[in-house]
Amino acid sequence: MNSLERILRATRLEPVDRTPLVPQLFGHAAITAGLSLRDYLHDGEALAHAQVLERERYRTDAVFAFLDFGVEAEALGAPLSFRADRYPDVVGCVLRAEDDPSRLRLPDPAAAGRMPVCLQALRAMRRRLGDDALVAGAVAGPMTTSAQLYGIENALYLAIDDPPRLAAALDFATRLAIAYGLAQLDAGAHAVIVFEPAASPAVVPPAFFREFVAPRLARVLGGLRDGGAAFTWLNIAGPTAGILDAYARIGADVATFDYYLSAAEACHLLPQTCLAGNLRSLDFLDAAPGVVEHQARELVVAFEGRSGFLLSSGCEIPPEAAAESIAAMAAALSVE
Amino acid sequence: MDGPYSSGPSTGAAFQPLVDALLVGDHKRAAAVAQHLVEQGCSRERIVTEGLEHAMGLLDEKCTVESFNLLEIMLVGRAVSAVVRVLYPGGYAPTEGRATFVIATLEGDVHDLGKNIVRMVLAGKGFRVVDLGRDCPVGDLVSAAQHEGAAAVLVSGLISPVVSQVRKLRPALRACGLAHVPVVAGGAALKQLRPEALDVDYVAENAFDGAHYLERHVLGTPGS
Ligand code: B12
Repeated sequence: MNSLERILRATRLEPVDRTPLVPQLFGHAAITAGLSLRDYLHDGEALAHAQVLERERYRTDAVFAFLDFGVEAEALGAPLSFRADRYPDVVGCVLRAEDDPSRLRLPDPAAAGRMPVCLQALRAMRRRLGDDALVAGAVAGPMTTSAQLYGIENALYLAIDDPPRLAAALDFATRLAIAYGLAQLDAGAHAVIVFEPAASPAVVPPAFFREFVAPRLARVLGGLRDGGAAFTWLNIAGPTAGILDAYARIGADVATFDYYLSAAEACHLLPQTCLAGNLRSLDFLDAAPGVVEHQARELVVAFEGRSGFLLSSGCEIPPEAAAESIAAMAAALSVE
Repeated sequence: MDGPYSSGPSTGAAFQPLVDALLVGDHKRAAAVAQHLVEQGCSRERIVTEGLEHAMGLLDEKCTVESFNLLEIMLVGRAVSAVVRVLYPGGYAPTEGRATFVIATLEGDVHDLGKNIVRMVLAGKGFRVVDLGRDCPVGDLVSAAQHEGAAAVLVSGLISPVVSQVRKLRPALRACGLAHVPVVAGGAALKQLRPEALDVDYVAENAFDGAHYLERHVLGTPGS
């Protein structure tokens, strides 16, 4: 069973030879490869090279063409500030609170901002890995893109001040996520992860999620599935207990859950969905490697007999995370 | 007409329309009511204590760690900011407000929603908050604390790389003769760590928890 087959079987809740190892290692790969984050985020070949290296080093089952949450806004003209070793910051909003999103036009993923970097990375990774391992793309969900276009506070205020305008922004961002995701599938991604941090219950109440976000996420996931994605994956960090049960209805084959929920709670809320999680990101910086290994091991045990589990972190493993801690997570599987 | 506003003792009822507008998060109405109160001769201090602080106290009672509706708090916060703008168009002057705090999100961290909420909650409680925004170098925060005569330095951090910067705060304050200025931290990344691990005085669970700490331990007054 190769890495891709292992993951595909897990997404269908079928038995696997061992738990797939799919930690959210994005910018960390740059550090491993001796690249600055800035260079990594601007050069698809370099990103692909670093991701492949990272997979070899920790023997993971997947590589990711995730850049950062500035990509979509940048493609629509937002200025970003980059630093050598940090993720970028959107420093100017594309839309002011009073602006109508209908003036925006969908960007061309082959040409706009750094979208081509992502596509180039996917092509290169697929060329290198073929169907041996999962090659995953990434898009921002409609709320996250809207937050980046208006500024998160203005986007939230619109929900109260002018709900139709927020709905229009979300609809635009939905079309954008589908178009960008389809381009990624075209470039060789097996699947495209939909990240939607701005719709986390850390930010918006579950009722808001259900009303504004869930129907659009369903369209995004449906669009990706129709476009040939091997499976769909929804990734929302934070305390998602109040919304996780909706993921199945939205159409997510894989659901990321963060450390705020236990494995048992997540299984209870999503009995028929493959779960990915939920090691604490910060533990990769602060905890002893032995602690990470122990927690990873406990997770694997918690999912024994269920299949439908990808061993991962609840959110991104920080770029400055210790190599020993990541290796410790991997070691938890080798003693399986 | 509304005599109680201009002279003599007022009843809390006079401020009820302002409190109501604040609590439903109607920033336009809150600003209009505050403007009206000012025109009636009501002092800014009373509008702050009997209007803003009262409304914040009620919101505070509602907001526990389990029940914390961010959107609701943001709307009240926006209404509070609108009233503060009416009362102090140039912001609180250094001599105004119950005390001055400086707050920032440190270099490399773009998450500022939490910081902004803390700023609004503290403004609603009558404090002057100097907000250095996001992506702020430690040095800038320390010099602002010095210039503004801050009673405490507040940092918000959601991503892990800021942890090492937070640890530099206290030594930097000490180097400027500000060893006595307490540091309070909050935000998703920082609240996973203990105060000793960050070398700060307190790690707040949420904005109100932080405000209580500041009221009790920094100002020596009981929290509301
Ligand atoms: C929304 C969000 C975003 C938005 C931020 C928009 C904005 N302008 O703020 C966007 C989409 C832009 C974003 C980007 C990124 N994010 Co983000 N994001 C989140 C999310 C889902 C919610 C954060 C939030 O706003 N919460 C709501 C606010 C109100 O809560 P809060 O900040 O904790 O504040 C409350 C209290 O803590 C307290 N408080 C806060 N500060 C202070 C200070 C004081 C003094 C006091 C008293 C109290 C206090 O008061 C507030 C109200 O009570 C979290 C998940 C989570 N669990 O938090 C991830 C999270 C913080 N992000 C994370 C990451 C990794 C990123 C990125 C690096 C991703 C990437 N690879 O590009 C980038 C950051 C780039 C950068 N350079 O910073 C990780 C951090 C992990 C880590 N340990 O480093 C998190 C934890 C989870 C995740 N999987 O993404 N993100």
